[in-house]
Amino acid sequence: MADDKDVLRDVWFGRIPTCFTLYQDEITEREAEPFYLLLPRVSYLTLVTDKVKKHFHKAMRQEDLEEMWFEYEGTPLKWHYPIGVLFDLHASNTALPWSITVHFKDFPERDLLHCPSNSVIEAHFMSSIKEADTLKHKGQVVNEMQKKDHKQLWMGLQNDKFDQFWAMNRKLMEYPTEDSGFRYIPFRIYQTMSDRPFIQKLFRPASPDGHTHTLGDLLKVVFPAAIPQDDEQKKYLVVVHGIEPLLETPVQWLSEHLSHPDNFLHISIIPAPSD
Amino acid sequence: QSMSLSITPAQTAAWRKQIFEQLSERSKREMENFKHYEQAIEQSVWVKKGTM
Repeated sequence: MADDKDVLRDVWFGRIPTCFTLYQDEITEREAEPFYLLLPRVSYLTLVTDKVKKHFHKAMRQEDLEEMWFEYEGTPLKWHYPIGVLFDLHASNTALPWSITVHFKDFPERDLLHCPSNSVIEAHFMSSIKEADTLKHKGQVVNEMQKKDHKQLWMGLQNDKFDQFWAMNRKLMEYPTEDSGFRYIPFRIYQTMSDRPFIQKLFRPASPDGHTHTLGDLLKVVFPAAIPQDDEQKKYLVVVHGIEPLLETPVQWLSEHLSHPDNFLHISIIPAPSD
Repeated sequence: QSMSLSITPAQTAAWRKQIFEQLSERSKREMENFKHYEQAIEQSVWVKKGTM
């Protein structure tokens, strides 16, 4: 039988096989072949696509190169969402490899944030960790860490070093033994058909009388339509890291084991495929 | 095990078992046929064992 700690490894080492293709209207000097890559689900697009950039730069003229951005079937992909979330939300019912289009011009200013360097990703990542720790421990754990500890979390993610990351991240996952979990569960709920980027509310891991809160309890409060009524066909899939946890799963356990490295539980709600 | 919600394998709750099974299915679905693809981040120092 698998151990709970194995879940952390499975989550960390999740990969999406991806085929990058240059947008048809980009001007090239020579033919730009598609580029195939295994993308870490828990990382960020702009952090792991140096090879993609180099590959397509070789086929293009210097003056035609602006900031690289990505699109899937007409939707610009937000680099500041984890890769796994982008895939689950936009492409989980597609055949693999995931087919992403690469652009070097006409940056969609209204849809995407600019990402001129990895330090922008680092700032975004660390601010998510701080926000999550504010919810979990009033920010006390992350504030007690030193600068080098923060760097260890970031370098762990950047270089895909599970042990390096978790040696520090485990501190962010602790809570007093007399408590039933964190103060609040850091989570975000994403939908495809919404102008709202995501839903985020204060939600505790247990009720005041000590009753453990489950994923179903959380959805009842935040997104009740995702819970099928009696005899009703499932309208939505509730997806975390490409899987559908049962509604009875305790949210505290989910937060400790299925959170992304930014310490948030990212939940995608996608329409159930109709037969 | 010392984790707060951990219990012995015999008592493993359905929700936990289902997560283990689904993660293993996910690995097969998303990775099994694509092992020949390049990794986005190179692991130069150590190599992970492929025993998923």
